Formats: sequence, structure tokens, C-alpha cells
Amino acid sequence: MSALTEQLAREPANPNVDADGAYDHLVQSEYEHGFVTDIESDTLPPGLDEDVIRTISRRKGEPEWMLEWRLKAYRNWLEMPTPEWAAVHYPPIDFQAISYFSAPKRKQLQSLDEVDPVLLETYEKLGIPIEEQKALAGVAVDAVFDSVSVATTFREKLAEVGVIFCSISEALQEYPELVRKYIGTVVTPKDNFYAGLNSAVFTDGTFVYVPKHTRCPMELSTYFRINEAKTGQFERTLIVADEGSYVSYLEGCTAPQRDENQLHAAVVELIALDDAEIKYSTVQNWYPGDEDGRGGIYNFVTKRGDCRGARSKISWTQVETGSAITWKYPSCILRGDDSIGEFYSVAVTKGRQQADTGTKMIHMGRNTRSTIVSKGISAQHGQQSYRGLVRIAGKAEGARNHTQCDSLLIGDQCAANTFPYIEVKNPTAKMEHEATTSKISDDQLFYCRSRGLSEEDAVSMIVNGFCKEVFNELPMEFAVEAQKLLSISLEGAVG
Amino acid sequence: MSTTTQAQTNGVFDAWVADGGDAPAGPDWLQAARRDARARIATQGAPTAKAEGWRYTGLRDLMQQDFQRVHEPVSALQPGDIDEALIPGLDAHRVVVVNGRYVPQLSALGTLPTGVRVGGLHAMLQSDPAALEGRLTQIAGAGCHVFATLNTAAMDDGLVLLLERGAVLQRPIELIHLSVGMDEPRVAQPRHLIHLGDGAQAEVIERYLSLGDSLYCTNSLLEIELGRDALLRHRRIQLESPHAFHITGLYLSQGANSQYDGVNIGLGSAWARTDLVTRFRGEHARCDLSGLYLAGDRQLVDYHMDIRHDLPNCASSENFKGIVHGRGRAVFDGLVYVAPGASKTDAAMSNRNLMLSENAEVDTKPQLEIYNDDVKCSHGTTVGQIEPEMLFYLRSRGISAPLARRMLCLGFAGEIIDALGNEALRQHVAEQVGQRLEQAPV
Repeated sequence: MSALTEQLAREPANPNVDADGAYDHLVQSEYEHGFVTDIESDTLPPGLDEDVIRTISRRKGEPEWMLEWRLKAYRNWLEMPTPEWAAVHYPPIDFQAISYFSAPKRKQLQSLDEVDPVLLETYEKLGIPIEEQKALAGVAVDAVFDSVSVATTFREKLAEVGVIFCSISEALQEYPELVRKYIGTVVTPKDNFYAGLNSAVFTDGTFVYVPKHTRCPMELSTYFRINEAKTGQFERTLIVADEGSYVSYLEGCTAPQRDENQLHAAVVELIALDDAEIKYSTVQNWYPGDEDGRGGIYNFVTKRGDCRGARSKISWTQVETGSAITWKYPSCILRGDDSIGEFYSVAVTKGRQQADTGTKMIHMGRNTRSTIVSKGISAQHGQQSYRGLVRIAGKAEGARNHTQCDSLLIGDQCAANTFPYIEVKNPTAKMEHEATTSKISDDQLFYCRSRGLSEEDAVSMIVNGFCKEVFNELPMEFAVEAQKLLSISLEGAVG
Repeated sequence: MSTTTQAQTNGVFDAWVADGGDAPAGPDWLQAARRDARARIATQGAPTAKAEGWRYTGLRDLMQQDFQRVHEPVSALQPGDIDEALIPGLDAHRVVVVNGRYVPQLSALGTLPTGVRVGGLHAMLQSDPAALEGRLTQIAGAGCHVFATLNTAAMDDGLVLLLERGAVLQRPIELIHLSVGMDEPRVAQPRHLIHLGDGAQAEVIERYLSLGDSLYCTNSLLEIELGRDALLRHRRIQLESPHAFHITGLYLSQGANSQYDGVNIGLGSAWARTDLVTRFRGEHARCDLSGLYLAGDRQLVDYHMDIRHDLPNCASSENFKGIVHGRGRAVFDGLVYVAPGASKTDAAMSNRNLMLSENAEVDTKPQLEIYNDDVKCSHGTTVGQIEPEMLFYLRSRGISAPLARRMLCLGFAGEIIDALGNEALRQHVAEQVGQRLEQAPV
């Protein structure tokens, strides 16, 4: 590591320390996807009370039970204390300063031609041309722009095999009984503070239902965008894989540059019945804030999968490079006998980013297995914690867990913490936990440099090797994107 | 205790800090520290079930007891009465503390080398309080929970071991902490202080024992300060009564290049909580903690570790192994903290558990908090059972199933038992572990 870049990493707020400015462009590599689309939005004034919830529910034309459910969640949320246990620091959030509903004015589109051209342009800037998506690798996209779905593709093709893939608002109108049967059964409104808030005010999200013995013919994907300033985005995703079915779901996010902190409190619920498998992949690259940590997204997400059926499998893969604060623990409840839970994660924190992330594996069924592979990379002033729970209940005969958390530290101002909780109540369980913390060694760097690689390329190569186990779990297109994202993220952070 | 140290507590712990009889009030600095402690108790109160440090360690049973403080020293015991508590063949300078009181007539100090002072805390507070100033209550500070504060507020008697610069103890100091059953549950809060001057070397064997199977609580606290290049071997054997509550805190302050080598054996008591807290005052110091615990039916064993690397070039290791059976519960919570400036820190933590029964429970939490990139840190945890293949191997050679299991358990525990070093002590502990495994329905 050169002394110069080390110094730069230590003083990111003052890039002028480098006289000839050779490294300036790297250290100051600004957020690539930072732009704001000027488009008229139908927004509720900031504030939250029961009337706001009634308005949201009315505008969405929801059934009565849904409104009652929201109100119950809201009343319970009012009683809940703000959680303070995570190793992240931020000013208190004023929930009355947030506008809880924002919808692009033109709705009910029949085809892409009706989509506001400005919107389409936005997607293209982001590198998600919807037209091309159709041809590209058979990926169907339910693009979310702020809070309401504006375009959905491949619906017909999916409908042929009986897969339901639509926004949760549509699902509430078209399949209310299906939604009612499953919503809130994995993450109840009382689960935690932000899940409670989400249950009360969620405005959109995705609903997927894969019928019995059906293999979803393509990978489903939702791109998230947060656009309206001061609009917290409260997504609700519900994926149900019925007996013997399989679905792979991709979630990717970018956001425009804004000075205001934007709260994102999503809830994702996955339900896998007998012999079903759900693969959920995330690439998260929201605006992380400027070099002093101003702005940036607060990403407080509750993600949980319920392996309800025997021999079911839920696999979480995440690549987290964005957000000012990430706070999420994609978890698996291994209820069914012989069910399998997996968690593969790469998290990068640089600048003033903070991440408190990990997973929970709750073994309840017999012969349940879980694997946790967590790779944390911390650079500059990045703060990162792995927080995980492996619980093996008394009746979980023959449960098996393997956990590996590795941290890579780049620079001497960053932090990597590991907080694993392991609770075992069955003697036939086999549980292993390993963790290491290291830096890129001078030997590794020297080896690469002596073969003609630049320092940046060498670091990028070593870091990609460090994360390979996780990238291997991503669908191919995502893996390529994730590798590129990782290299971009670490630009200017290494030295 | 003088009335000047009286203050309001919130009631829960009144009996724990009630007037301690003939204990000396001590010098002004000590009285001030104890007043502070009392004030803190009033605000701290008893930990709730939600407190992170007590997440897996229920305090309900402990708080339900109506403990009384021990007032009078036990004078009825004669040297012959404690023979059963002694380890055959262990050659050591013996200090005996009964129910929190140093008892000279039971102790056998023998001839001490020059530069070594051994005595009771209460006696030392009266004869030479200056020797304790800046150390007693200073090393532990506020402590890590209310029980440490209680000990400071109401400290009973205990061992003071002071080694001058360069002094070397050839034979170990054996500190026997004996609890003698009384009609009603008693709480004893012994307080020990060990100081090793620069380059001094010593070995301390600390044992917790009881005569009889009565219900009582021991809330002990040790403060240890190691000077530059000092070396302390510390062996702690906890064999309290099966109905006892055992709380102990060890606060360690290490100078540059000093070495602490500690082995903790936890076999007794119904409920045991141990906190090991290490701070480095100088570079190149090394702290090795290892431990073996057996949690049998309805027993709870809890080890908490807080190792803080504030300075560069220090090393720490924790190697704990546990065997849990019946409805036993084991809790392990280790935290290694590496501060931003603490480059070249080498820290390794390992916790391995063998779970032998349906109703046992192991909760383990090995944590790393690292704020520096130039470090070597790792931790590993396992929970498992005896491998059927190993059992089959032994069975096929004509060894009965129970014996085979015991052999495998002893093999698992052997690494830590061997680390005790002292042969007489090693044999004693191996016997105790063997006996317990024999009684266990493994």
C-alpha cells in the first residue's frame, strides 16, 4: 500500500494533499448513477396519521381487511421503541417529515409506448433499457419507479405457465385471497419497528406466486428506483413457491444523488412449500452519501424466508455496495424437515458508509441444513458488522450449519466487527463457525505488481478472488454486474 | 463498615452491602471508591433479562435467594478439618480464605523468597494501606456489571500478593477459597489483589471449594497488575457446591512485554458466571486464556471475555472447551476489541463444545470488533457430539459404550487439562473431570 494513497484514505475530505492531483479522480469518484428525473408526481404532503393510511388504502382501491390490517399495524407501531442495538449511528429520523405516497401521474399503462419518455430515458441512463430487456436473457422486469409499478413485461409468457408476477397493489385487487393467506405470515407487523411501519404504509412492491410443480421459465427481476426527494420507499415483496416449484428472483437498485436522507424500509417475505425452491439475489447500489457521509439512503430492510414445506430450499445472495446505512438480515426459518437455507453475502463499505448485516438461520425441522458465507470489505471510514444468529431448536434432529465470515480491511480508519450468536439445543446438531479478519498482504500485492498489474487492478483482482464464493451463487448476468460494481466501488478506496 | 460509606441502594441488593461487621473502613481513597460504588448500585440495580450481557444467563434463581452477608470469621475450623480439600503432592505456599475471610491458622505460607509479600486484605488495609493505593479498586474500575460494583462496595477479605521488581516465586501460591455451609444462604464477596513488579514471576493456583453441599453465593473479584516483563501463571479451579451460585471477575492490567497465562476449570456450582477482562498498558504483552467447563444436569456455566487491544503489537488467545450434558447449559461470550492504533495485533479465539444430551443447550457468541487493518484476528466455534465412528472404533475393541464415551470426552478435555502444567494439579483435575463424567448419564 503506498504511503500517498494511505494518506488520502485517511483524509478523504481534503483531496488537495496530493499536489499533482493524480489520485483526485479516484478518491472523488462520484456516484455514477446520480441524477434526478424531472417528472410530475402525485404526492401526499409529509406526515403520518391514520388518515394518511386511509388515503393510501383508498387510492390503491384496497379491500377493507387490508385497511384494517394496516391500521392495526400502525397502532402497534406507535407503541414500539426505535431500535438502537445495531452498530450504526445516524441522527433520529422524523417520521412526520416523510411523504408516504408518491406516484407518477400517468398510470394504468397498457404497453411500453404509453410510458412517459422521460421515465424510459431514466432507465436507459441506468442501463436498464426495458425494450432490450425483453430480448436479454429472458428477464422479465417489473420496474418500480418510486412507489407505483409503471411497466411490466413478460406477463403473458408467465401467465401461460400460471406464474403470477405483478405489483402487490394489483395482486390485492386480482388475487386478494392469495395475498391475504400469506401476507404478514413470515414477517408479522409486530416483528420489528421498521417492519411495523412498512406494514402500515407500504405503497407498492411485488407479488409472485409460482403454482405447484412449476419451474418459472425465466428469472424474475424488479429494479428499484427512488426518485422523489423526501419520499421514503416502503416496498412489500411477497413470493410464494407452491409445492415442487422453483423461482429465481433478482433485485437490483440504484438511486439518484440527493442531499436529503432517504429512508427505505422494505419487507420481503418468501414462502417455500414442500419441495419448492426460491433463489433471491440482490445487488444493492443506492446512493451512499458524499465523502463526509451527507445524504445517502438509509436501508432498513426486513427480509425473511420461511421454508414451510419439507425438502424446501431458500437461498439468499446479496451484493451490498451502496446506501449510507445498511441494516438487514435476510433470514431463513427452516421449519420443514430436510429443508435448506443459504446466505451468501458480499458487503462493501467505504467513505462514511455503515453496514450492520448478516442473517438468521432458525433450525426447527429435522435434518435441516444451512450455509452462511459472509464476505465484508471495509475501506476508508467504512464501518461494517456481521451480526448473525444460528439457532438449533431442541427438535431439530441432525441439523447442520456451517458459517464462514471473512473480513477484509483496507486502510487503518475502517472497522470490521463480527457478532455471531449461536444457540444449540440439540445434541445431534453439528455447527461450525469460522471467522477471519485480514488485509491485502504486501506479498499478494507484490506478486501481482511484479507481473505488470497496476496496484488498482491487483487489488481489484484480489478482492474479486476474496468474494468469488459469493459471486458464484449469483445468476450469470448479475455476477458480471456485481464484479464490475465491486471494482467501481473500490476505486479510490484502495492504496 | 463505617456509616460514612452508607448510601441508598434501590433495595434489591441491600443485604449484599449490609454492614460487614469488623471489616476496616480503610483509607480515604478506598472509602471514596466504595461510596461511588454504592451510588452506582442505586442507579444500576439488577440486570434485566434484556441486558445483552445476561441474555442467556437467567438471574431469576439468584435474585430469588435471600442472601445474608457473612459477618463473623469462621474460627472453629482446625488445620486437620480441611485435609480433604488439599491436593496430595501439591507443593505450594497456601493461603486459605473461608467464607470471604483470610484465616491465618489454616494457611501455610512457609518461607517466602525476598521481595514477596503475602497477606490478608483486611490486615494489609490496617498495616500498610499505601501498598494498595492506586491498585485496589483502580485496576477493575467500574467493573463490567453490578456484581463487580457490589464487591467493591462491600468487599470482604482476601489475598494480597505483592512481588517486588525481579522477585521470583519458585513454588506456586495456592489460594483456597472455602465455603462452609451455614443455616441460611450466605453471600461472601472476597477481594484479591495481585501485583507483580517489573520482571517478577509467579504462579497462582486459585481454588474454589466447599465443605458440604449447601446453598450460598460467592461473588469474588480479582485485580491483577503485571509490570514490564512480568510473568504470571494463573490456574483457577472452580469446584463449588452443586447448589452454589458463583460469580467471579478477573481484571487484568498488563505492562509491556508481560505475559499472563491463565487456565480456567469450571466444574462445580449450580450457576456460575465468570468475567475475564484484559487491558494492555504496554506493547508486546501477551495474554493467553484457556478453559474447560463441564455443565451437568441443571448446571449453568457462563464465561464472558472482554479483551481490549488499545496498543500495537500485543497478542491474545482464548481457547475454551466445554462438555454439556443432562439439562446443562453453557454460555460463552467473548469479545476481542482492536482499537484504531493497535497495529500488529494477534488475536485468536476458539470455543468448542461437546453436547451429550437432548436437553442440553449451548449459546456461544465469539465477537470481533476491529478498527485496524494490520491485524491477524480469527475466531472459531463448534458445537457437536461424539462421532459415531470414533465410538464404533473403541466398541469394536471391546470397550463398553459408557467407558468409550468417557474416554473420548477426556480426550477432548485433555488439551486444557494438560495446559495446567503442575503435575499434582493436573492429576487432581483429571480425576475430578473423570468422576463427573462417570456420574453423568453419557
